[in-house]
Amino acid sequence: MYQPMNIPMHRFKYTKLTKEQIGQELAATAAGPKCVSGLSDALAGKSLKIVTKDGPVLNYSFKDKNNLTLSENGGAAIEAGYGALTLKQMVFFSHMIPGTQKGYNVFVDLDTDLVTVFEVWFSSGKQEGGGGFLGGEPYTLDDREVQRQIYYGYVEVPGKEAPEQLHHATNRIEGKGMYWKQDTGIETLEYYASVISSNWVELTRQNDDLAFCSPSDYVLVNDNMFIYDRTECEFAGIFTLFVADLFTETQVGVRLGFNHLDELEYYMFRGEGKVVGQLAYLEPFDDHGITPMGAQSKTPNAIPEKGQRTAYRPVRSFRHLTDEEVHQAAIKTTNAFGGRGDASPMDMSMSMAGNNMPFTDMLVGREFTVRYDNGGPVWQYKFMDKFMLKYKEEKETEWREATYRAYEGDEKLVWFAHILLDSKPRASVAIAVDLLNGLTTCIYSHMGTPYYGNETTYRALFGVAEGEGFAAPRYMRHEFTDELVGHAFSWSYSDSMTSMHLYSSPHSMSWTIFTGNQTMGMQWGSPCLYVKLRDGVYIFCQNEEACNGAEMIELINTKISHDCGFSYSGGAGGVNLGLVGAIGRHIGSFDVKEYFGPRVAGKGA
Amino acid sequence: MSITKSLSGSGDNRKQPNTGRRSFIWKAGAAMSAVVASAATGFSKTGVDRADALKDANAVRTLHRTYESRLNKGMYEEVVGMFANNAEVVFNGGLFKGEKSIRRLYCEFFQAGQTGKKIEPAPGFEPDPEQPQDIVDVAADRKTATGQFPYSMQVGTPMTEDTSLVKMARLQGEGIVKWWEGGTHEVTCVKVGESWKIRRLEYRLVSKADYRPGRTHARAIDIPAFSKVYPADPAGPDKLV
Repeated sequence: MYQPMNIPMHRFKYTKLTKEQIGQELAATAAGPKCVSGLSDALAGKSLKIVTKDGPVLNYSFKDKNNLTLSENGGAAIEAGYGALTLKQMVFFSHMIPGTQKGYNVFVDLDTDLVTVFEVWFSSGKQEGGGGFLGGEPYTLDDREVQRQIYYGYVEVPGKEAPEQLHHATNRIEGKGMYWKQDTGIETLEYYASVISSNWVELTRQNDDLAFCSPSDYVLVNDNMFIYDRTECEFAGIFTLFVADLFTETQVGVRLGFNHLDELEYYMFRGEGKVVGQLAYLEPFDDHGITPMGAQSKTPNAIPEKGQRTAYRPVRSFRHLTDEEVHQAAIKTTNAFGGRGDASPMDMSMSMAGNNMPFTDMLVGREFTVRYDNGGPVWQYKFMDKFMLKYKEEKETEWREATYRAYEGDEKLVWFAHILLDSKPRASVAIAVDLLNGLTTCIYSHMGTPYYGNETTYRALFGVAEGEGFAAPRYMRHEFTDELVGHAFSWSYSDSMTSMHLYSSPHSMSWTIFTGNQTMGMQWGSPCLYVKLRDGVYIFCQNEEACNGAEMIELINTKISHDCGFSYSGGAGGVNLGLVGAIGRHIGSFDVKEYFGPRVAGKGA
Repeated sequence: MSITKSLSGSGDNRKQPNTGRRSFIWKAGAAMSAVVASAATGFSKTGVDRADALKDANAVRTLHRTYESRLNKGMYEEVVGMFANNAEVVFNGGLFKGEKSIRRLYCEFFQAGQTGKKIEPAPGFEPDPEQPQDIVDVAADRKTATGQFPYSMQVGTPMTEDTSLVKMARLQGEGIVKWWEGGTHEVTCVKVGESWKIRRLEYRLVSKADYRPGRTHARAIDIPAFSKVYPADPAGPDKLV
């Protein structure tokens, strides 16, 4: 069915489909969605009057299992094709309104007569940004991005009073992870590690095991059923919506939107899945997430616009620079560890290193050489004092003097970094040297990627240290690892800044921003790498690709739930090698390693 | 409830807040004791009708409660509307004079930091429970009044870092460094028609601490006062005081 993508979503140039193009394609939706498993006739011959809170009154008559008429708010009847699926007591039906770019997706609970309605539409023409909470320069959302508005309501039954309690938002799905396989053959891993976002891995549609994040909604139906959606904002803009039963680990849902080939997808699906784990959620025990985390409005205290959601759109405000522009800026300013050593307590409380580990002087007076495999660099080092070192490449005759910072990340495991002086593109190294066995790993980073100049490129180099006290092995090396995959840690960089890292796949991670009461909120993700240094001690390195281009290079010591390390970034203001360190809490883990690894393209796990 | 003469020029330390633990109790307690001591002479000298004075005093208290309530709800624009023409606000070493400047203080500075939310005093910085809750003194002509009201609020400032974490936090209405501040509102009110407006409000700081609701501990912190005036500081005061 699919031609899998081999370009990651965050690098893919999605077509800016016009309103007219979208309208032409949507004509096909007039007949309603298809479903591989066959559609249900549960509604055929029935009529429903659905009353929603703060939303429309929808009068439906279902002629058969494919055709309905709808009157919105008492208006003229509209004929449309539709599809319906059932899951236990839930009936889910979906239709678009012919001649328009909007439609409804309706979940009816036959046990309670409660209803949740998702109105969806394309070509919103919606402007965001423009100051305030919504960010800097204004921009218009892509017409292909499906918009949604949720209404809670009920089926009006003559002689029966309107229910007081409707479906509602929930935090009870927060932290859950699921594997799903649809009747279409599409497989996904989905991590619901937020109340407004989700993190998912396309096991079939993508050739890389990369996780991505998208705005999502979670609605509680009852203790074992919930409704979920995600819109792939800033990617294809496509919309996935389903109701799931956790008892049977089954789902029914709909997919609506344009894929990376600009093909319209509008189909319903059944799926079977598996709960793969549960992270702890950290909000107060008496907070059940019933009041949804509000989307921001352009001005304080204003009611958010219809369809408003909290979506991170980093590329919209990012100014791309060329390699040369960044290098010229680097010549003017290349900063290493500046500005934090004498920072005030308040600065430290706001910083990414307020909870950092201490610097070590264990290298002072030592000399050694690090030699990286496969013709990699060979650097000789002399450590003059706690913050200054001399280095040179083996073949060079002149020593260079650079400022450095070093941590003892684990017993006699040193982790230090410095700028490679006068390098073009400007480069830095973060080097772990195990003083107990002579193994070393270097994260070699430089400014610039094939995409733009103010984004970093990094790679791990494996090798050995040579010198007094070292007797490094000949074959054994540090290695890439998947030991952290599936785990989540909160990282408190300072008392004012905490995020949760979810190590979502062997090649990617996501970060989640906590709200004031520690509900998990906004998410975004990036590719990354993991290297094992020792049991429980790892290097984790990620670059916020197609985001702000900044790199985080951390040594994670799970034995003390602490990390320490560096950041590397550059832009118009120059290049900066900074400090990062945080206190961690293990939030939980997902058992997902079985789903990853090389496989036939498009075949899923 | 007490209607008293206000303290004039009280507090030698008004520009030098003591940020030490427990200083809130000691200093506020001392100031309030002085006020209570002078209360008994208030009516006999002015000859103000007691019932009318009580009515005005209650109106001033209501005005102050409304001010705090609106701040608590983030209704900054509505707060600006509570000030008289050419009013003044002194906050964090800066004087804001006139509607334009007061709007800058509340609708830019306060709003950006979600400042003004009422929170309980930081642990270890609780006010003396024996001290009066508030003190109001209505002038003999009943056209002006002064008041002192203890305050305990959250103050904040947006994080300035340009990281994705901060940008994302901003998008969910956060990305703000918050702390606690306690002290006394020194208020001068003026009657405009039948209602009262604030003519001058001074935040007389006693303590600041790195406290946010939910924490079990706090330590005194030093937050720099305004160092630049508007427009060098786009949300700054007209004058440093």
